[in-house]
Amino acid sequence: MIGFDKAGKRFGTLDAVKEFSMTIQDEEILGLLGPNGAGKTTLMLMMGTVYRPTSGKISVNGLDVVQHPNDVRKMIGIAFQDPRVDGILGAFDVLNWHLKMTTNLDKVEREDRVEKVLRAVDLWDARNKRTWLMSGGMRKKVEDCKVLAQRPKIAVFDEPTAFLDVPSRLLMWKMIRELRDEGSTVIVATNMMDEAERLSDRVAIVNLGKLVAIDAPEQLKGKTKGGEVLELTVGNGQEFPRECLTQFSEVQDVSQENNKVTVYLSGGRLLLPKIVETLTNRGVKIDSVHLKEVTLEDVFLNYTGHRLE
Amino acid sequence: MSSSTIQVTDSSDLSGQSTSRLVLQMARRDISTLFRTPWIIISRSLAFIIQLFVFAYLISGLVVKFPGFFPYYAVGSVVSVVASISFIIGYDIFEEAEEGLLDYLLTLPIPRREFIIGRALGGAVRAMIYTIPMFAIVAVLENFSNSLSLMAAILDLFLLAFGVTGLSITVAVSVRSANRFDVVLALLELAVSRASTALYPLAFMPSYVAALAPFSPVTFAADSTRAALSGSSLDILGLAGLLAFVAIFLGLGATFYFRRLEGGVYA
Ligand SMILES: Nc1ncnc2c1ncn2[C@@H]1O[C@H](COP(=O)(O)OP(=O)(O)O)[C@@H](O)[C@H]1O
Ligand SMILES: [Mg+2]
Repeated sequence: MIGFDKAGKRFGTLDAVKEFSMTIQDEEILGLLGPNGAGKTTLMLMMGTVYRPTSGKISVNGLDVVQHPNDVRKMIGIAFQDPRVDGILGAFDVLNWHLKMTTNLDKVEREDRVEKVLRAVDLWDARNKRTWLMSGGMRKKVEDCKVLAQRPKIAVFDEPTAFLDVPSRLLMWKMIRELRDEGSTVIVATNMMDEAERLSDRVAIVNLGKLVAIDAPEQLKGKTKGGEVLELTVGNGQEFPRECLTQFSEVQDVSQENNKVTVYLSGGRLLLPKIVETLTNRGVKIDSVHLKEVTLEDVFLNYTGHRLE
Repeated sequence: MSSSTIQVTDSSDLSGQSTSRLVLQMARRDISTLFRTPWIIISRSLAFIIQLFVFAYLISGLVVKFPGFFPYYAVGSVVSVVASISFIIGYDIFEEAEEGLLDYLLTLPIPRREFIIGRALGGAVRAMIYTIPMFAIVAVLENFSNSLSLMAAILDLFLLAFGVTGLSITVAVSVRSANRFDVVLALLELAVSRASTALYPLAFMPSYVAALAPFSPVTFAADSTRAALSGSSLDILGLAGLLAFVAIFLGLGATFYFRRLEGGVYA
């Protein structure tokens, strides 16, 4: 179990992470979802003993990360957001060295693991190519492979599929799930909705260094009012009369960002004509209407007041 | 892939990771970094030999006042090489922090103290490995008297390497801006090896350089290496100076580095 207790990290005058409290269960995949700069990387690097928290406490399996950094390090493997690989080395050497430092495997076992993981991600043929000559996607795979080969008790992936093509993304997700199935606790930071939703057992929404919500994706969506979302595009620069929609009991919430209005509702299909009629009567020009199921995108918008992109 | 047969690494698996093994792994990493580009080493060794034979013969012919200048210069050249290779570790460490590779190294299960010791050791050892062939040539030219004097000379060089490594690490972790770091380290390197008796005796130097030279660690090393190789008595003063230099800068470097790593100042 990993516990964040009002953890905070301040860089100069900036609170990258603030009063952050959450618990990560054993053998779950926890997705940290948030836009760039939300504080995801900082959170994970504090847990990984690279950054020292400036306030609060973080414990990993009962061990405080500041008091017992060496014991904590033994349990964790981190695949960084920007690959941290020695450019002059090939993928094989990068991974082999990583395992040398993080496991007690003998040479044969180690090389066997490296080979398996490189074959799995289709990098075996390129195993001796210097990583600085690789494409961003290949390098990212090598970075992810460090942790996939290490198979630590706690596996951290920081935006594991950035730069990857679609088949590689799916494969990476599959391998990360396998890691969990074998008993690792997995933490995945991402700014991609689909990744958070499809990969995670639970999602923690992070915004401006703070925890906004945490739950299983389905629960988060369920909590987000009713289960349906009506997206309206209204005429530019128009004042939007919120109250004429909130009068309906099925309308749970209304939010507006520029000319995009999001209406969270239950039983939306029946209400749709009424809403359009009401707004038209109030002189609101409606450019487009779109009714859909709630997605994590809406959850995010609902909690933070802005879109993820 | 048949990953389902692979077991998750249990933390207890790592209890067997002995500390000394990790120190050696870190040291090995720094050593291999230097030797990754063999052509640099080969070309520098060649340059060394050419410089030694051509340049030094010319000079020693000209400097009539100082007939033993060639062997003097030869030993000093080796000492200078040890110093300048030892300085490189600072650049490596600075670059690593800039590139973020350090963050990765810091997630590895190696205690910070062992991490630092490993690096200082690696920095010093690689300077020695690099210099050994040149040293061998010079030792032969010098007609070294016995194996004991050879050992003493190697000890002098190693102490210099260790101390300069510490000095270089100290600068690398205390100067923040990349531009300033390059300048500071380059100036230090210049001061330490030029204002020394490595290549010229005190009497041949301009007075302001001669005033500084007796305090340079390169002077200590050059003088005591010459004393050792020529089989004359042990240069106690030089050895003591070297030891003090090592103690001070290795201590400072390790302390500063440790603070920065554990304090998360690299953050
Ligand atoms: N080493 C650092 N020094 C100063 N500011 C930092 C550092 N690392 C991150 N930050 C700042 O902290 C905030 C959170 O960054 P980060 O944790 O990288 O977010 P995310 O991973 O969610 O994109 C950002 O505003 C970022 O600029
Ligand atoms: Mg990040």
